[in-house]
Amino acid sequence: MNVQVETPQETAVLALPPEIVKLAIKDLNFFYGQKQSLFDVSVSFAANAVTALIGPSGCGKSTLLRTLNRIYSLYPGQKATGQVLLDGEDVLGPRVNVAALRARIGMVFQKPTPFPMSIFDNVAYGVRLYEKLGKADLANRVEDSLRRAALWDEVKDKLRESGLSLSGGQQQRLCVARGIAVKPEVLLLDEPASALDPISTARLEETIAELKRDYTIVIVTHNMGQAARLSDHTGFMYLGKLVEFGETEQLFTNPVTTRARDYITGRFG
Amino acid sequence: MDHTLKAVDDDLDLLSHSVAAMGDLAVAQVRAAVDVLVRHDLTTADKVVRADNAIDIQDAEIEKNAVRFIALRQPVADDLRRPIAAMKIAMQLERCGDLAKNIAKRVPRLDAAPSEAHAGLIAELGRMAAERLAAVVNAYRNDDSQGAYTVWLKDTELDERHEGVVREIVAGMAAKSETAGDSIHLIFIAKNLERIGDHATNIAELVHYQLTGQDLSDRPKL
Amino acid sequence: MTTATGPRLSRRINELVFLAFCWTATVIAILFLTAILWSLLSQGVGGLDLNIFTKSTPAPGSEGGLINAILGSLMMCVVAMIGAVFVGILAGTWLSEYARDSHYGKVIRFLNDVLLSAPSILVGLFVYEILVAPVKGFSGLAGAVALGLLAAPVITRTTEDVLRLQPTALREASVALGAPVWRTILAVIWKSARGGMLTGALLAFARISGETAPLLFTALNNQFLSFDLTKPTANLPVVIFNFALSAYDDWRRLAWAGALLIAATVLTVTVVARILAREPRRS
Repeated sequence: MNVQVETPQETAVLALPPEIVKLAIKDLNFFYGQKQSLFDVSVSFAANAVTALIGPSGCGKSTLLRTLNRIYSLYPGQKATGQVLLDGEDVLGPRVNVAALRARIGMVFQKPTPFPMSIFDNVAYGVRLYEKLGKADLANRVEDSLRRAALWDEVKDKLRESGLSLSGGQQQRLCVARGIAVKPEVLLLDEPASALDPISTARLEETIAELKRDYTIVIVTHNMGQAARLSDHTGFMYLGKLVEFGETEQLFTNPVTTRARDYITGRFG
Repeated sequence: MDHTLKAVDDDLDLLSHSVAAMGDLAVAQVRAAVDVLVRHDLTTADKVVRADNAIDIQDAEIEKNAVRFIALRQPVADDLRRPIAAMKIAMQLERCGDLAKNIAKRVPRLDAAPSEAHAGLIAELGRMAAERLAAVVNAYRNDDSQGAYTVWLKDTELDERHEGVVREIVAGMAAKSETAGDSIHLIFIAKNLERIGDHATNIAELVHYQLTGQDLSDRPKL
Repeated sequence: MTTATGPRLSRRINELVFLAFCWTATVIAILFLTAILWSLLSQGVGGLDLNIFTKSTPAPGSEGGLINAILGSLMMCVVAMIGAVFVGILAGTWLSEYARDSHYGKVIRFLNDVLLSAPSILVGLFVYEILVAPVKGFSGLAGAVALGLLAAPVITRTTEDVLRLQPTALREASVALGAPVWRTILAVIWKSARGGMLTGALLAFARISGETAPLLFTALNNQFLSFDLTKPTANLPVVIFNFALSAYDDWRRLAWAGALLIAATVLTVTVVARILAREPRRS
């Protein structure tokens, strides 16, 4: 029914000016054993901005996210080829110190995963791995992280209680605090609000909006409203390919590709 | 492709039909207004004036439905452009309706029936304006961005014709074909018809925007 | 019950018949269980007195207790558990964390399952061949080894099962912070699975505390109280075996008392394990 004046494009990926690029992905292909699930993905993520990845289930958005901090290398059958450049250095290179990489790129998962230890120890866990901080410094770091995650006021009197005693929304913010305590440069969020109620979701979104001042954030979400609310750039993926990537405003007011338009307007066929 | 949620398509169809129906009514009003002037038919003129109510009611209805669609469906991309364009087009059509009513209102205030020559000029201008409006309403109805573009291009034709008509009426004032008062009414009526043409141009821009997301004002006119 | 037409009524009848069968089966099972427990209680309580815990096994006709058997069993079980827990937890961890999908892991897991259901008399015979025959002497240590060999597969299995239940995201969350895998296991996964692993150990203990056949070939028995595990060691199951078949009344009484003690121990340990397993984690 819709009439486009020009012939519609198959893919449209906006190229960002290099000075604002924090993470650049070039020709990324990903395999689960023999099965390929990412096909020649090339895209850049801007520093101190939020980039959202949207698309139907199985489109590869979570897979793409998981290549960025090489969490997939825990599993022997999974393989990635191509380049993921963090400030110009290839993260997928053979001589990369993966543990150190993961301290620079943090991750928050779909289900809140507080460790079975006190709230304080949860946040301090990552810090204790690689830094030798004195008691006072550590306490400050924990407080700072909890403040940024908008959780401090709710837990400041019960830091010694188990992380598991918090509500779902609080647990997720605890995971965010834990992730930023190691002072990463990039934060990866894999559908962080999908297990939360609307109020917790809103609080988490507000936290993310404030965090972007200091971090580069990539968020995978199947909630398009969330992508529209939070992100500066949005990428739409379909069947392992990046179909459209551009400014969020552009994608949601006038998407270039028909696929993207169909997806965001609810024409799933 | 249709929306997976059928209700969305139903809402959009209802909105389109409402706007198209309002457009048809506006075109009919314009033609009727010009007709009652040319024939100096005072009784029908009164009917035309009162018929404008229906247009106003439709305008309110369309606006209400558009707002409801936006609130409940949270539309994006072309789905968002539709209700927004619908509201704006309805407003343009409502103005056309008002202009037609204004023409009809002037008919009983004339001292005498207009001269044959001037009636012919007004009829010609009215036909052009009504045709433009009808063409653009059809373009809207059929999602025809090419048709809208064609109407948009011919914007100056009506403007030039209007200037010609005004010159002739002014010349006629000196030759005393009608009273001065009547001539002024006729000039106003001509102006209204020209404005209706402008509204048709605006509607053409809105149709094009709704379909492509782009403004026509970026393009050069012929 | 409202009157129902044709198919509805037959469905209800089928339902009732099926329910009746289930009930009957349950009653039969519970009947037997109750009978066992009742005979244990009625026969065993008669033999219970303070002597049980103060005197060693007596010669026929004289007064005595079971203290040497109780302590002997305890010592061997503890030594067996130390070894079994060490091996079982590490093996279970390896199977769950490092070898979940590997071919080698599948083989090991299969072998462990075989060992789990190995007849305990075979294990006893095996330990006899390697630890008793060469030195020509029965010993409590051999007994402990046999019991350990029976307990280890249980702990391996339960540890692996409970570790597998831990959400993948938990591991990934730790690794995503830069923690190496071993640290993740120690600091996060084991802590999270603590309750389950303890339950597994308790269940293994409950299993071996009543094993008789392997001890027949390894620890044999001892009349007297001794803490020397390099020599034959007294233990409850073998004492029961010997005394229950004897002609002497007091020996038979002691056998029942011993059986009651073992049953009580197993019951207590199982209940404790259940309570621990059900401990609520989240508020």
